[in-house]
Amino acid sequence: MNCYICQNSTEPDTTWATFLVTKSRLICDDCEQLLPTISGPTCPICMKPTHDAKKCPDCHKWSEHFTKDPLKRNISLYRYTPEMKSIMSRFKYRGDYEIIHAFESAIQSTYKTHFSDHQTIIPIPLHPSRQQQRLFNQAEAIVQKLYQPYHTNILARQDNAKQSKKSRYERITSLNPFTITENPPDKILLIDDIYTTGTTLRQAADLLTNYGAKSVESFTLIRS
Amino acid sequence: MHVPPLIEDMARKFSGKLLLKSELNISEQRLNYLIKNGYILEIPSIQTKFTLHKCLRCFNMKPSYFGKIPHHPKPIIYCKQCIQMGRTSTLEPLYQWTGPKPTRHYPKNPLKWRGNLTHLQQRASTQLVKTIQQNDRLLIDAVCGAGKTEMLYEGITHAIQYNKRICLATPRSDVVKELAPRLRRDFPTIHLAALYGGSPEQDINSHLVIATTHQLLRYERSFDVMIVDEVDAFPYHHDKMLPKAVRRATKPDSATIYLTATPRFKQKWLINTNQLPTVSIPARYHGHPLPIPSKQMLFRLTKQLEDGQLPAKITQWIDTKQANRRFLLFVPTITLAEQLATKLDLPYVHAESPERHHLIQQFRTQSISALITTTILERGVTFPSIDVAVIQADHHVFDEAALIQIAGRAGRSAQDPTGDVTFFYEQTTEAVNRATTYAIRKNLEAKGRSS
Repeated sequence: MNCYICQNSTEPDTTWATFLVTKSRLICDDCEQLLPTISGPTCPICMKPTHDAKKCPDCHKWSEHFTKDPLKRNISLYRYTPEMKSIMSRFKYRGDYEIIHAFESAIQSTYKTHFSDHQTIIPIPLHPSRQQQRLFNQAEAIVQKLYQPYHTNILARQDNAKQSKKSRYERITSLNPFTITENPPDKILLIDDIYTTGTTLRQAADLLTNYGAKSVESFTLIRS
Repeated sequence: MHVPPLIEDMARKFSGKLLLKSELNISEQRLNYLIKNGYILEIPSIQTKFTLHKCLRCFNMKPSYFGKIPHHPKPIIYCKQCIQMGRTSTLEPLYQWTGPKPTRHYPKNPLKWRGNLTHLQQRASTQLVKTIQQNDRLLIDAVCGAGKTEMLYEGITHAIQYNKRICLATPRSDVVKELAPRLRRDFPTIHLAALYGGSPEQDINSHLVIATTHQLLRYERSFDVMIVDEVDAFPYHHDKMLPKAVRRATKPDSATIYLTATPRFKQKWLINTNQLPTVSIPARYHGHPLPIPSKQMLFRLTKQLEDGQLPAKITQWIDTKQANRRFLLFVPTITLAEQLATKLDLPYVHAESPERHHLIQQFRTQSISALITTTILERGVTFPSIDVAVIQADHHVFDEAALIQIAGRAGRSAQDPTGDVTFFYEQTTEAVNRATTYAIRKNLEAKGRSS
């Protein structure tokens, strides 16, 4: 087996356990250590690391902005460290799809601890032209690791600009890029790769609540 | 034949290369037109034979280096080995220019440098020009500090005057960054492109391309003269892909010149069986002999370093140097570099250190007087008037070539041609002995030549 992140061999040291465990490893020890899981107190809404586990100023602003925050809560797996940044740029922009395999078990276990099965899973869609260029949707790649049914025909995307190329102000004030193509169910779980300012997720959540969704939560790989 | 200016423009950009659609950077409509009219050929980038894949850009055939993207109706296969240069996959072909060849204006007297070559340099230079004329191969085996770059000038001038396209390839991006400004200064009127991962420059039918060997994966039948500097350096001599890339980047009728100070077994074999014409330059350009490393065997060195102590001999060496000399301290591992840096209060660099370029620049401009380094500074970099010491020279990362190159950092300038080279080690290794005898042998050879 080769590590999905650095391509080095993941051959573990031979111990007695080797006879008992037959499962091969997907990432090597070095890369596993680099992955920065979120620990310590965080904002209960957006999972931003804070000192006191209270609602962070950004989430307060969102509540004011929408009068009621459409996003109930967000759960993320990793922090956005420089190492994570280079892994994500390889995954998304270089298009090394198989990196997602490295996160499989982490995605599954986090999903199990935080979410229930009666939520409808919707990955954040990509604009068709970008999808054609990238050949995959990174949010859908994450969803596929859950091995659960999901819906791609409720939300659609129109705007084509990359979020990562915009400033914070541009992101927050940008027009809603999504449209609804089907009536949404009551409980929704949105899935995306990165939570940066939370604008994308809230725009989708806002639209879904306006069309009748009761609660919208989100699950992202990274909280930057 | 009249060629429309737009086609001529694209011929300049695309000719002799293998590019992805994103690298062509032209509209879909225009691309389709060019393909239909035979200007551009679309080549599949992943070849599949009996379930085995091959990447036609980087020659990768290892199954573990291919990835799968779920797609309808068939999964997409992509290559992970060269993905840093943009993805090649079954849906992302490569494009090759098959239209008219671009024309190039060439200056009559491109060389502005007015220095003199030494007797030995001149010999190599003449041989080089002859090799270029005959589209032959040549190995120049020149000691560190022989003035290899200046030796190439006559050959480069000759090639440009005969409208030949030249590539100067090297495995290390540091070397590209050091060579490009020097050649720009000495050949001010030619088009020159310096290419390495993340370089902002573009090769638009340049006379001279200075590139890392990895960048040559984007080329096919492009160069009339290929000069490979530091053939024995990592990763070129480890990698099967890079020699293939170099071969593909050259035209069928072309000259290939290899430069090295420390030929590896493969090159020595070719030299000794007369398969590769060779010129040897055993003396430095300033004519002074190579510094002969002094060997210091230290009892229980490894143990002492593990305990965080530094043997008295080493501290003495550092103390005497710190008074009036600038020096480089080579260590085998990053951990030891960090440990010594805190102990001695000196800056250190390694391949992944973020301030690497900044610190090297500071050492070059003499704003810092000492630097602890791993083997990254072993070659390709020139600092005038420095001394070097190697701690744990018996460590396996210091092979013969590495130690010879490290010793070659000292005494580079004509004003200060001597330098102190000291190897500190616990057990004598073959590499240590050979690096020492190398200097003695080359000095003797130089003496024999000049008399």
